[in-house]
Amino acid sequence: MANDILVLAEHSGGQLSDSTYELLGKARELARSTGGKAEVAVFGPADLAGQLGAADTVVWVDHPALAGYVPEAYEKALAHVLAQRSPRLLLLSNATIGLDLGAALSVLWDAPLAAYAVDLIVEDGTPVATCQVLGGKVLAEVALDADRAIATVVGGSFGQAAGQADGTAQVVPVAPPASLDEARMSVRRVIEPEAGDVDITTADLLVSVGRGIGSRDDIELVQELADALDAPLSASRPVTDSGWLPKSRQVGKSGLKVKPKAYLAFGISGAPEHLEGMRDAELIIACNTDAGSPIFEIAHYGTTADLFDLVPALTERLSG
Amino acid sequence: MLVRFVLGAVIMLGGLALAGRRLAWLGRLVRSGAPAPGRVSNVPSRLAAQLVEVIGQRKLLKRWRSGVPHALVFWGFLILLFTVAEALGDTFVSKTFAIPLIGHAAVLGFIEDLFTVIVLAGLAVFTGIRLADSPARRGKKSRFYGSHTGAAWITLGMIATVMITLLGYRAAQVNTGDFPYGRAAFASHGLAAVMRPLGTSANAGLETFFLLANVAVIMGFLVFVTYSKHLHIFLAPLNVTFSRRPRALGALGELPSAPTAAGAGKIGELSWKQLLDTLTCTECGRCQSVCPAWNSGKPLSPKLLIMDLRDHLMASAGGQDAAKPLVPDVIGQDVIWSCTTCGACVEQCPVDIEHVDTIVTLRRRLVEEGRMEPSVQQVLQGDAQQGNTFGKSGRMRARWTRDVGFTVKDARKEPVRYLWFVGDFASFDDRLQALSRRLAGILHDAGVDFGLLFEDEHDDGNDVRRVGEEGLFQMLAEHNMNSFAKASFDEIFTTDPHAFNTLRNEYPSFGLDKPVSHYSQLLDKLLGDGAIAVAPLGLKVTYHDPCYLARHNRLTDPPRRVLRSLGCDLIEMPRHGLNTFCCGAGGGRIWMTDSVPVGPPAGGGSGNGAARHGASGDGAADQGTATGSPPGTERPSENRIREAVALGVSYFVVSCPKDYVMYTDAAKTTGNADRIEVVDLVELVERARALAVPVFEEV
Amino acid sequence: MRIVVPLKTVPDLVEEIEFTGEGTGIDREYLKFVLNEWDDQALEEALCVKEAAGGEVVVVGLADDPDIEQVLYTAVAKGADRAVRISGGGESTHARSALLAAYLSGSPADLIITGVQAADDLDGQLPPMLAARLGLPHAGVVIAIEAGDGSVTVRQEFAGGRSAELTVTLPAVIGVQAARQTPRYAPITKIRQVMQAGGIEDVTVAAQSGGHGLTIRRMYSPERTAHAQMLDGGADAVADKIIELLRSRGLVKG
Repeated sequence: MANDILVLAEHSGGQLSDSTYELLGKARELARSTGGKAEVAVFGPADLAGQLGAADTVVWVDHPALAGYVPEAYEKALAHVLAQRSPRLLLLSNATIGLDLGAALSVLWDAPLAAYAVDLIVEDGTPVATCQVLGGKVLAEVALDADRAIATVVGGSFGQAAGQADGTAQVVPVAPPASLDEARMSVRRVIEPEAGDVDITTADLLVSVGRGIGSRDDIELVQELADALDAPLSASRPVTDSGWLPKSRQVGKSGLKVKPKAYLAFGISGAPEHLEGMRDAELIIACNTDAGSPIFEIAHYGTTADLFDLVPALTERLSG
Repeated sequence: MLVRFVLGAVIMLGGLALAGRRLAWLGRLVRSGAPAPGRVSNVPSRLAAQLVEVIGQRKLLKRWRSGVPHALVFWGFLILLFTVAEALGDTFVSKTFAIPLIGHAAVLGFIEDLFTVIVLAGLAVFTGIRLADSPARRGKKSRFYGSHTGAAWITLGMIATVMITLLGYRAAQVNTGDFPYGRAAFASHGLAAVMRPLGTSANAGLETFFLLANVAVIMGFLVFVTYSKHLHIFLAPLNVTFSRRPRALGALGELPSAPTAAGAGKIGELSWKQLLDTLTCTECGRCQSVCPAWNSGKPLSPKLLIMDLRDHLMASAGGQDAAKPLVPDVIGQDVIWSCTTCGACVEQCPVDIEHVDTIVTLRRRLVEEGRMEPSVQQVLQGDAQQGNTFGKSGRMRARWTRDVGFTVKDARKEPVRYLWFVGDFASFDDRLQALSRRLAGILHDAGVDFGLLFEDEHDDGNDVRRVGEEGLFQMLAEHNMNSFAKASFDEIFTTDPHAFNTLRNEYPSFGLDKPVSHYSQLLDKLLGDGAIAVAPLGLKVTYHDPCYLARHNRLTDPPRRVLRSLGCDLIEMPRHGLNTFCCGAGGGRIWMTDSVPVGPPAGGGSGNGAARHGASGDGAADQGTATGSPPGTERPSENRIREAVALGVSYFVVSCPKDYVMYTDAAKTTGNADRIEVVDLVELVERARALAVPVFEEV
Repeated sequence: MRIVVPLKTVPDLVEEIEFTGEGTGIDREYLKFVLNEWDDQALEEALCVKEAAGGEVVVVGLADDPDIEQVLYTAVAKGADRAVRISGGGESTHARSALLAAYLSGSPADLIITGVQAADDLDGQLPPMLAARLGLPHAGVVIAIEAGDGSVTVRQEFAGGRSAELTVTLPAVIGVQAARQTPRYAPITKIRQVMQAGGIEDVTVAAQSGGHGLTIRRMYSPERTAHAQMLDGGADAVADKIIELLRSRGLVKG
């Protein structure tokens, strides 16, 4: 009850997201400090309790409106669960679903919200979040000292292992709220990533390009290097937003998470959203003319050489 | 005789009517343009321009091979007006007609014959030039690429026919006894000797035939001229008269602006002078041959730009097409954005066309409509917010002064003699910051009293203005004027020639009344005064004139004097001084992504639609036969480095921050970094100073 | 269709951030403020919706936001029909959303489009909070909005390149991640003309209670726990080193 830590499960196609496990692992740790339980709310028809053994409780709400993710339906269902379970802390991912629900529930459930959390601890019974704001330039340490609170957590901040631990969760079915029968919002279609393109998540080596490339025409320059390295070309958000590369090549929060053996970043400054998608690469080599770019904080090797000089120099060495 | 009179009258009146109708139509076209302020002020300098540029053929004579024959043919045309008068007098007045006051002086007969022969010789040279530089063979390397070469051949043919019929008429006159000149008219008498065996009556027939043919060809030529690029013989004097004096370089001209939108987007929104420019163009291609964009495979040729505008002006006259957007319907957007505003075209143009002003006029509309590269938009937005083009915090502007080893004065807090306007590149670029520190040290040691505006200095706006963001330029200029007002100083000097240009030529209209110089001038003065102790370097160097110092501001001597003071052996590149070749960074080009040059066209054709600029190509020009690759696909800076390397010098001296960046890169990308070192004047002064430090031997 | 676009200024991230004496907030005095980049995207998308489906775009700012006039005038120069400045302000999203909700209750909108987030919204993002206060449906991380009859179809983006098209009954609140095209350029001349013409409508709304309930203990710059080893020398030297690094891991043959 008032000491519990509740996590909202994110899933599609019967698969739970990485973030769900990250949050569940953290929830277990925090629950030990608060003396409560680690609970996971699962919405929809899929029986995922078997994959959530690390939780103490799985709170399950099913209703036709919850067949897939619809912001409005999830919001109603989660508000309903919160009213019923009254946890101390609600943990959400700082991705689409958490961004949709966190701030809304802060109003509807009347609970303070710590957004962009990268660390969470409990101090004397009070959850304390460290949040990353202003493009990663500032960390804020905030105490959630009200009797209930919400945190939205940046992906990759915690490990998944603790959330994947074996165990058996107690399944608590909760009757759906009547409000789910009315909808102002519906899913017209779900668009899966374009098939047929290369899968950047399985490559050992990635050549990645960012805003610094400047124009569509110059993508070719980096493509030549990627070809010489026999590696797929990936990109940060500005490049795919501009349509210079397909969305399936985007690394980062709203793109794909990659863990190659080596990641070569050209003209990527390293917005937190991008770093979230590639920080686990074994070797990161970054090229950016601005020595103060955040990418250099997580890269193993860096250079401020101009990519327009460096990339051809690399290609020449590989094809020479 | 009556036959002669009637036929002559029909030919003449018909010719005059046709030409007159055409000229009136062309006049209406020009007058359909927007106002062009300041085009009739300063009459004396405009009259002087007539003498120097038109009569004196100044710009043409800079290229002697084509210039000398052109000047002779042009002067020949003036002289041969006498023969036209005589021919018409013979036709309509009497066989014994003589020009009043001059009569039939022997010297006139000689000069007439002489220039008839000279013009024919000139035509032979022109024929040679056109054959040697034929676009059919040399493709885009030819300066005639894209010109109406067919019309040019007809022109040459018609002029030749005028000369030949004139000589024939005069020779036949000799044989019929009608010729009023003695043997001084050597060519007429010479040809007469050949024609004499035909007999007197045949010669009498030939006399009438050649006379009428001469009048007919002259009239035909008159009409043809008004329908072809040879119109320049009438319009060039007008265009030169109304041109910006002394030249359309330095400050940007006063550009037309539509009532509701900046710049020009439709043909009628260009000024009448800009329209007159297009009609005056002779398609000679001098501009094209020196253009850094064209020579690096970019789609811009100043000549084709002007021709495309002219073709559209004529084709759309009074029709619905006049409402078409000039870009992209007439001129490709990439064409407009290829210009570096280096002014080489303006410098070359023998008829004073103002290409750069027209390009900026078109850019203004594009900027207003947001039609530019995202990278440029980003720079402009950052410049508006931060006052610099580097997207950095304005507070970081003077951070480079931290490590100079002394306190650089703040001109806002204490009076200084010189205000140093450092500029964005020298303030924010890592490599250039080191140069700024060196210059600061040199000036400090030389006892120069200087200070900075620190964060109150903003981008000077020279390039922003040339990109076409006039509002931002005004805002930056107003900001800098406010900053100047906060400071106390006597003079300004700049690092950047672009800043120098706008501060010197454009800021006065915002109220700036202090002298502005470039640091090369200051170094020159200090070295001349002996304020900097240097020892001779004895280096073999070449010097690259920045466009905005040399061409736009005619400053070519001070940096050379500095090099001499440093004991350097200056070897000039073929393109130097006013004919310097742009590094490719000006006019906002440095903010555009330029690194992948346009590839050579596929197959043997003229390629990627660049034969003419727009989509409007109506096939009128004879470029269809053009083959071959563009003159070059390497960047202008790379082309320039090769030019320097060929001289066998080890140092490439620059005096502009953008040049420093562009050429250091180009030396690397062309693989010449080991052969030639790019150095700034400041670095050479520094080295010469180091050599001058006395070495005390131990006693 | 009345489209309301709330706009917000945030500290310009090119500036160095300094903190207040107590270390619990950032020192705003010397900071430059610029339009929140997601709001810029939202405005662009709103203008695109207007161009496609008609209607009017009203941009709304809070009077206490630094440099908000500049932002509102720039929006008008880009094509917004009206600009409204609401009295008051507040650094927290809770306070902002309360003021905006009070304004919107008085002048209802058919569609509210704003940035999905802002760089400094520590206590949560505006669109869901505003929707919750107004009782409207909401979707965030949207990359396209198509107006229909009494509804809009939006494309909501998820991780991994997945996205969904949602049909949302109006009125609704949409949080935009990215517009369908690069935000348009506003020429300075036009912005200055708009400024000269004036015309920002000032609206006073009753002060709202809207605490965010967080206790900020401290704010600080992240320690540079690790930093890349920087490779020096020219492009050639750096290229050699990179090849060596890849080769030693078997990622380059030979």
